[in-house]
Amino acid sequence: MTLDDKELMGRYIYQVIRRLSRAQRDEARMELEELISDMYADKGSMETVLTQLGDPAEFAKQYQNDRQYLIGPEYFETYLWFVKVILICTAVPILAVSLIHAFGQAAVFTSQNAAPIIIRAIVDGLTKGFSDVLISCVSAFGAVTLIFAVMERQKVKIETKKAEKWSVGKLSEQKKTAESRWTPSFLEPIPDKKALISRGDSIAGIVFIVIFCVLLIFAPQFFAAFFPENETVKTVPVFNLDQWGTILPVFVLSLLVGLADEILQLVVGCYCKLVMVSNIVCGAIQIVLSVVVLKVLPIWNPNFVSEIQSALGGEASSAEKFLSFWNADMVSNGLLAFIVLFTLVDIGVTIYKTLRYGVFVKGR
Amino acid sequence: MGEEKDLLSSLLLELRRGTLAISVLSQMKEPKYGYALVQSLEEKGITIDPNTLYPLLRRLESQGLLESKWETGGAKPRKYYQRTEYGTEIYKQMKTYWENLSAGMRRLLGEEET
Repeated sequence: MTLDDKELMGRYIYQVIRRLSRAQRDEARMELEELISDMYADKGSMETVLTQLGDPAEFAKQYQNDRQYLIGPEYFETYLWFVKVILICTAVPILAVSLIHAFGQAAVFTSQNAAPIIIRAIVDGLTKGFSDVLISCVSAFGAVTLIFAVMERQKVKIETKKAEKWSVGKLSEQKKTAESRWTPSFLEPIPDKKALISRGDSIAGIVFIVIFCVLLIFAPQFFAAFFPENETVKTVPVFNLDQWGTILPVFVLSLLVGLADEILQLVVGCYCKLVMVSNIVCGAIQIVLSVVVLKVLPIWNPNFVSEIQSALGGEASSAEKFLSFWNADMVSNGLLAFIVLFTLVDIGVTIYKTLRYGVFVKGR
Repeated sequence: MGEEKDLLSSLLLELRRGTLAISVLSQMKEPKYGYALVQSLEEKGITIDPNTLYPLLRRLESQGLLESKWETGGAKPRKYYQRTEYGTEIYKQMKTYWENLSAGMRRLLGEEET
């Protein structure tokens, strides 16, 4: 074997084994060295040998018997559809917010009649908007992919467990069919029409959560009281924007938990044990996080009242009337009561529908 | 024309793929290394691509039908494969199945000629 031939062989082997798992590599390298030198001794030309072996990528594929993927064929369609929905829900509100920002910024300067400054402000606003969109879309894509990947892994786990349970239980009575694990008794009943989860509801929930999330992240100042002042608009934010860095993560986490639950419901499509458990767990987490957000963290703008008073200025009488209704503690309690009630009703409905119509009760 | 050729070759590939395991097992009573196996199959009219054979040998080994040993005494290290007891047992059953199948196939394919 000439040096050139050896070099060619080395290149070929490298191209095959770099595509294999680490555990396989050493063994495969030795096997290939043996094979190629045997073939070379037989055929006399490295060109002929490697041509016969064909594309190293194809060769490597033969070694990879387990198909490895993040999201399997069963979920892939839903996943693709979902990515589209989430990306639209993320991109559109952020673009809208940044447009409003940009033109709002421009409006501030109109009185000064300085065209370059206005243009500069708009361009800056748009640039920031586009980079925000890019970053958020990448994160949203990552979050959805993560949720689906987890579901894929869990599904595989559940299915293996099911199969094991089944074969052990039936082994003694059905030895003859033990090899073929599947029997018609494995068929799940068609879900009752009332057990189906409305796709529209799930989608509405998801779109709401995503848009709310985006607004909380990119435009918390939009949750505010607006007052016309001269030719611009003065805003008094409802939230405590100074502490927003601590509040936002908890807030968003609670929304993401809700999102995961909605996605699961959408994918499974009907009430069953899995949906029920997920609903209860997610609901409980959300209630806890809501308590943290509303009662523990300083979520409300502490100067809300005084800022409004100063914004209203002369019209003190209507201000006093309004302010007599504003009490941060009361608002927190009211919201919390609403959230807890809403979550409990949601869980209750899920439990009821699962027990009454759910897939796992009937048939088994 | 090209499509027809592709279709035919993919059908033939499928047909051949099913016979590979039994072909290989049939030759593994005595220990053999990979390329010797390719040649001995070829002599008997069964061609198999080396890039299919090596992964197949591994798979059969992981299923417990073959066992392998590296011989390092010669000029270069060689991996020898041999049927296990379990492999022999499975091979016998496959052989019986194949004989029935090919008898049935012969009858099926003979129908048209008469």
